[in-house]
Amino acid sequence: MLALVDVVGGYGRTRILNGISFAVPAGKVVAILGGNGTGKSTALKAIAGLVAVDGGSITFDGRRIEAVPPHRRIGRGLCLVPQGKEVFAAMSVEENLLMGAFHRSGDRAGIRADLQGCWDRFPRLAQRRTAAAGSLSGGERQMLAIGRALMSRPRLLMLDEPSAALAPKVIGEIVEAVRGLAAAGMTILLVEQNVSVALELASYLYIVRDGRIAHERPVGPDVDLEDLRAFYLGAGPS
Amino acid sequence: MYTLDFALQILANGIVIGSVYVLVALGLTLIFGILGIVNFAHGEFYMLGAYFGITAAAIYGLSLFPLLLVGILGVVLVGLLSERLVFRPLAGGDMTSSIITSFGLAVALQNAALIAFGPQPKLLRTPWAQIPVEIGPVFMPLQRALIPVIALVLVVAVHVVLRHTWTGRSLRAMAQHGTLAQLYGVDVKRVAVVTFAVGAALAGGAGVLMSSVFLVQPTVGNMIALKAFTVVILGGMGNVYGAVSAGLFLGIAETFVAGYLTNTLRDIVGFALVVVVLLIRPQGLFGRAIDRA
Repeated sequence: MLALVDVVGGYGRTRILNGISFAVPAGKVVAILGGNGTGKSTALKAIAGLVAVDGGSITFDGRRIEAVPPHRRIGRGLCLVPQGKEVFAAMSVEENLLMGAFHRSGDRAGIRADLQGCWDRFPRLAQRRTAAAGSLSGGERQMLAIGRALMSRPRLLMLDEPSAALAPKVIGEIVEAVRGLAAAGMTILLVEQNVSVALELASYLYIVRDGRIAHERPVGPDVDLEDLRAFYLGAGPS
Repeated sequence: MYTLDFALQILANGIVIGSVYVLVALGLTLIFGILGIVNFAHGEFYMLGAYFGITAAAIYGLSLFPLLLVGILGVVLVGLLSERLVFRPLAGGDMTSSIITSFGLAVALQNAALIAFGPQPKLLRTPWAQIPVEIGPVFMPLQRALIPVIALVLVVAVHVVLRHTWTGRSLRAMAQHGTLAQLYGVDVKRVAVVTFAVGAALAGGAGVLMSSVFLVQPTVGNMIALKAFTVVILGGMGNVYGAVSAGLFLGIAETFVAGYLTNTLRDIVGFALVVVVLLIRPQGLFGRAIDRA
């Protein structure tokens, strides 16, 4: 569904992606692991259009998307949940969810149905429907961020470190929610620093180092956590 | 002089001037809050609105509402051209460059007005300036009495657009988190166009309304821009409802100082308040800075 081939890019003259290539097949959960500053978040931003691509190609559904402006990509079905549990802080929970459906604002019945679906999926958000999003707890904000992404009816959901800076119990809830989405057939590209979260959710792993893929493998019962950690920390063979 | 009737008359005059401050400051605070542009040419939008109104009145003899429409549409055009030709090329850059550029735009528009409309002060005269309105002890010409009413309609319209339409939601989203708004399909360019159109419309409308009260000259925008900045700082940069409260407050405070002390102190009121507020409550008098739009 999504394929990056030799993508080069970064911020201004600072090059962060050094020819990264990976693929996300439809209906699968793919995880990208790597340490700080290796370029995994930058890769997601390049797919979302927030980072300039200077070389290589990004193909989504068989069409090149590098030249598509960022605000048009959500309409193609690409949705990024950025790291940091970002919300529109002064808007209510409900308005944040509505913003997820901004690109299909004419579809009133569909939006109403999706909103209901969101309340069913995240009952805690339903309780805080009129609260300002800025007043929510970290876990609630992450649920809101995911709920808002779902309101866009994504075909590829990109999650950038959904477990970061959350209590273990809350991480469990987020993992459950993402697992539910995956079970329903959602295609998900997950960036994580938390190896165990990635292993729980993904069926295929890429490990990024220095802006390119250093290692890749399917997730199976034979995955050696120590081996992965070695790659993750940059100590393994490249 | 120190009667209740006198105080009420002063209050009414303050509300009239305050509502004009509200209109100008509202556009200024929207442009700042949503686009991060400090537009020092905003007073010139007001000035041009006044001239468009006066000119249309002189040529076609229109009444207030058609004049208002002419002033608003004319200034919206100027605002959109400014956005497209002056501010858009600077988008994404340093805020200082747009500040300096807006000063240049202000000078250019002032001189254009000097060439087009001449240096003589002008005043808008419509038949409604001769119709007196009396509400209890308060007296003023109909044209002036309508200013707060029209301002209220415009402010409510802005409120409804911001709160209850998809366009308004996209403007607020852009003010609160530009990157996130873009990810969710908000087109930055479209937001800039809409914001400049709304801001210019409000300033142009204010210019038409006020041109029957204050004399209009090409440099009249300087003082009104300073007043609007005062209001924006008092209300909190980017805070729409703060601008409404602070604008009325400033107008009323000024007329009371002018009425009870001396008219020469009028213009110092706002600036003294700004200094005090910046020292004590730099986020503005009303609400937190985050409650943008």
